[in-house]
Amino acid sequence: MHLDPFELYRPSTVEEVVRLTRDLGAACDVLAGGTDLLPNYKMHINLKPNLVALEEVEELRSYTLERVGSMTRLADLDRDTDFARAYPGVAAAVHEVATPLVRERATVGGNLLVETRCFFFNQTFPWRQSLGFCLKADGDRCHVVPQKERCYATFSGDLAPALAAVDASVELAGPDGRRTIPVLDLYDPGGDGIRRHRLRPNEIVVAVSFPAASRGLPANYQKLRIRPTFDFPELGLAAAGLVESGTVRSLAIAAGGLETYPRRFDEVTRPLVGERLNETNRNAASEAIMRSVRPVHNTFLAPDYRRRMVGVYVRRALDRLANGPPGVPG
Amino acid sequence: MRSMSPPRPLRLTLNDRPVETSCPNERILLDLLREDLNLTGTKRGCDLGTCGCCTVWIDGRATLSCLTLARSTEGHSVTTIEGVSPATGLNPVQKAFVERGATQCGFCTPGFIMTATALLRDHPHPSRSEITEAIAGNLCRCTGYTKIIEAIESAASGDR
Repeated sequence: MHLDPFELYRPSTVEEVVRLTRDLGAACDVLAGGTDLLPNYKMHINLKPNLVALEEVEELRSYTLERVGSMTRLADLDRDTDFARAYPGVAAAVHEVATPLVRERATVGGNLLVETRCFFFNQTFPWRQSLGFCLKADGDRCHVVPQKERCYATFSGDLAPALAAVDASVELAGPDGRRTIPVLDLYDPGGDGIRRHRLRPNEIVVAVSFPAASRGLPANYQKLRIRPTFDFPELGLAAAGLVESGTVRSLAIAAGGLETYPRRFDEVTRPLVGERLNETNRNAASEAIMRSVRPVHNTFLAPDYRRRMVGVYVRRALDRLANGPPGVPG
Repeated sequence: MRSMSPPRPLRLTLNDRPVETSCPNERILLDLLREDLNLTGTKRGCDLGTCGCCTVWIDGRATLSCLTLARSTEGHSVTTIEGVSPATGLNPVQKAFVERGATQCGFCTPGFIMTATALLRDHPHPSRSEITEAIAGNLCRCTGYTKIIEAIESAASGDR
């Protein structure tokens, strides 16, 4: 499959990237690792005439244990045993992204902003044309939940829930300077689902930063998918927290792969802090989280099965925080 | 006729030799190798990053040439299946694949050789689970993988 022609810019500073994307406006895409954007371009999905590549921007490529540049390749994090000790849940999520070959190109920022996915969207141009285009690309209606207002494509990044569970932040750079927001504020639960993020115009993700308290915090990530070696999440469940002698000292649970945006379930986990964890409150928490999610039928596995697995994974996640070694991948 | 953006100069190190060529912005590395440079050992399978047939090394790391813009390799080093054999004969992984019959139709084999050769360079004595993990991005639809894994194990142990 050949790509349609585009102009390619390869700036070397964040400021140049922001200037270029401002000048090009809506006629450009930002290219990180390319493992998500280029397959979509090959299938003629939402092509833009200009690409601004981030790979030459030195600042985005560097990382420390406190601050990870957005162009850090997932394979580099995956190989880093210090990173795995510091953030076992995030490291587990990194390891679960696609395959080793993809992780060599895929980046942290790219995974946070990975395009949402749907049966009716991730298809070739002739396939989509024959059925009738959808809201998210070239059309005006949703084939999954038939109406013309909202897209239900599924958020399919692995890193966001794992980062959200340890209170990580994202640093953004735009025409008005830099700002730092909690990871989940990147996404827009109230939006139309077509746009996958809440970045301001011409803003880019510069880095992910971790609060000191998240270092070494027990955490885990479990991923549901058809092929354990490759696929996007049908459910990605991240949990982080401290359970000392059965008593919950801190706890956060977040999930992706279910709806158009990743979520954290503080309304369920907060009342558990200070409590002794037992089978009753563990099962009640898993039931409450399961009941609050609304997957639709736009991925491989049936929505009801994905929902039930939320319950299973929450119970397992809590058991692991209470008993098991940290960060054992699901 | 497909429209293209104008060709731009491209300099890279290819199989340890400096190469100066040119290509349009939208040229994918796989197409540059196969169609412009006549290095057809790198195979086009799914063309979407799923199958691993197009595996090459970029700066020594095994990755997918179908998901890499050719211009991203400017100033970098690319190694293809044509560049991993000694001057004469085969490398240990290639020999093991031949001797263990770790190939049927052979279409996925260059990708597996690239992944496995990089694995053994970095981890000369991998466990079976490290091997299966490393080849997770390479699909074979003939062998069922058993002979491929055995070949990599035998290349690692020098037992051929």
